[in-house]
Amino acid sequence: MTGLAADRRTFLKGLGVLGAATLVPGCATSTKSPGSGSAPTGQVSLQSNLSSEQAKAAMEKLVATYNKTGGSQVKLNTVAAEIFRTQLPTYLTSSNPPDVYTWYAGSVADSYAKKDLLLDVSSVWDSMGNYSKAMQTLSTSSAGQKIFVPTSYYWWGMFYRKSNFAKWGVTPPKTWAEFVAVCKTIQSKGIPPIGIGLGDTPWVASAWFDYLNIRINGAPFHRQLLAGQGDFTDPKVKAVFTKWREVLPYFDPKGKSFPFQEATSALLAGKTGMFLIGTFFADSAPKDALDDIDFFQFPIIDPAVPVAEEAPTDGYFASKKAADPDGVKKFLTWLATPEAQNIYVQSSSGTAIPANPDGKSADTALVKKGKAMIEGAAELTQFFNRDSSDALQPTADAALTKFLDKPDQIDQILKTWQTAAQKVFKA
Amino acid sequence: MIRRVGYHVAMSVVSFLWVAPILWVIVISFRSFDDVAANGLGSLPHSFTFSTYKSAWEDADEFRALINSLLVTIPAVLLSLGLASIAAYGLARYNLPFRRTILLLMLMGNLLPPQILLIPISRFVELIGYYDTLIALIAVHVGFGLGFYTFVLHGFMRDLPREIQEAATIDGAGPGKIYSAVILPLTRPALAALGALSFTWIFNDLLWSITVIRSGEKMPVTPALLGLQGLFVSSWNVIAAGTVIAAVPTVAVFLRFQKHFVGGLAIGAVK
Repeated sequence: MTGLAADRRTFLKGLGVLGAATLVPGCATSTKSPGSGSAPTGQVSLQSNLSSEQAKAAMEKLVATYNKTGGSQVKLNTVAAEIFRTQLPTYLTSSNPPDVYTWYAGSVADSYAKKDLLLDVSSVWDSMGNYSKAMQTLSTSSAGQKIFVPTSYYWWGMFYRKSNFAKWGVTPPKTWAEFVAVCKTIQSKGIPPIGIGLGDTPWVASAWFDYLNIRINGAPFHRQLLAGQGDFTDPKVKAVFTKWREVLPYFDPKGKSFPFQEATSALLAGKTGMFLIGTFFADSAPKDALDDIDFFQFPIIDPAVPVAEEAPTDGYFASKKAADPDGVKKFLTWLATPEAQNIYVQSSSGTAIPANPDGKSADTALVKKGKAMIEGAAELTQFFNRDSSDALQPTADAALTKFLDKPDQIDQILKTWQTAAQKVFKA
Repeated sequence: MIRRVGYHVAMSVVSFLWVAPILWVIVISFRSFDDVAANGLGSLPHSFTFSTYKSAWEDADEFRALINSLLVTIPAVLLSLGLASIAAYGLARYNLPFRRTILLLMLMGNLLPPQILLIPISRFVELIGYYDTLIALIAVHVGFGLGFYTFVLHGFMRDLPREIQEAATIDGAGPGKIYSAVILPLTRPALAALGALSFTWIFNDLLWSITVIRSGEKMPVTPALLGLQGLFVSSWNVIAAGTVIAAVPTVAVFLRFQKHFVGGLAIGAVK
């Protein structure tokens, strides 16, 4: 029996060595260089994080349609969003990774490109000349390669129930002063004006930070700040929180205890007045309430600042180690077409807007209004984590949650945030 | 008398608090999505439906996930208990050199937080070509359980009377025969208890399955349940229904081995 323990010991030691060996040189050691070595397999694997019932069905339909067109066959593999998020680095660095992945545009994709894990899809972009400039920028890595194929985006707005606004006698505000007046009126009816849901979903608060920052300081400043070229103790950042404090008394005090999905229920039940949220919340609304939902643009604070909006863009990227890069690119080219995007948008929840300008979004007043707002914006941002990194998001969550609790300590909070952010940027 | 009544009232309240979350999940599992969305998770039910169970079973493919779970759990339990009982037999019944050190070393492996080993294991499994297979998952579970099971069984086997083994030796039984015909039958209560415990642990595991398995169709039931959660919005009623279904095997095992559970937890704890 002595052998067993010795085995276990050496086994553990061996594991450690192996782990270190595979980690240190990154993927370089076990990589087969793209395209060489293995012949095209004719099969492309697609790792998808769209695990909710409707989105999964939409993806299955999309893949089935593509496979009928002939050429390479795509095999869809859906895993839970949470598992996908945590395992994505493992997938990409493994020696035999899946070929294509659902993911987000912008710096979150670029962070993998910097590690040389993504396939250069510039040739796919040859057929995507009609995509907007903003989409092109989002899909380009810091090394100047196209690494991402956007397929859809959605928008954020201040959502409310039309019937409730009519009942309370308020109209959607355009400016900050009007917004504060609306808050006052709703509060006088005994309803908390601004709904929020931070329990389990503290990142929802970042929407407020993002919007206030791009309204007060503008999108370029916001992007630089999130890229580590600014400082959270900057007086310009503090101005964001000073503005925020003006409306803090109007936030739903219960919002800290439940997640945003419950906050949606509160909004729909008329227990809160408005809710700054992304269109994905509509999936959690009962069908009969959907017709009564409308939104307004986040109020303008400084008319001199070019209007920017949050438009998180979703799409696909591919692994550099894909066995059949041509098959992958062919699939991505197809995903970029309006036909493919229409299939997805129609079969999924319907609030997503195709990234291809020729794609057809859902024909509802809400989506038309959202699309018009995004198209009219001078600048687009995505969302806090997408414009920075998933590592920076928790620092924002901590700072913003603390601010909502203790707005007096803002200087201290910003100092702590800057220290935490610096650690992330240096890592 | 008053003390007795007071005791029962207080304990009823405590047990209700204990059961309340489970009841809550069961209630949610029978509510419709629109009801949950309109009234919130915390409200009293305004609807009653079985469709949640249907969508958990069909859309989330819970049947296949349950099969996967059992395909992993049953071999892992049998294999780890079999190996652990052999190891414990040797360590407890024979004067092997360094037996205490060996036992402590095995236990030490269990004291390591599994999180440290996530990346090494996923790399190692990939290197030997078993990534994304159920075999890898079984091997991981056996490896991790072995130390603790050996420790517990060692404690139990050590206390079996010496005379039984001597009698068997006089009757001409070798170590293998003594193990299979004498020690193992006597260890049955401990094995039953550990079997029930390890079944629950392995069946409920999430961490290792998502570390070594990549394909959706090979995922056991716990990650499959996680898959019912959307990126942003989750149908909590369907998730609740899926959870209720997924709890059936462990509850069945628990009910079957109930009486061993308490006894099993105390094994090895008392000298």
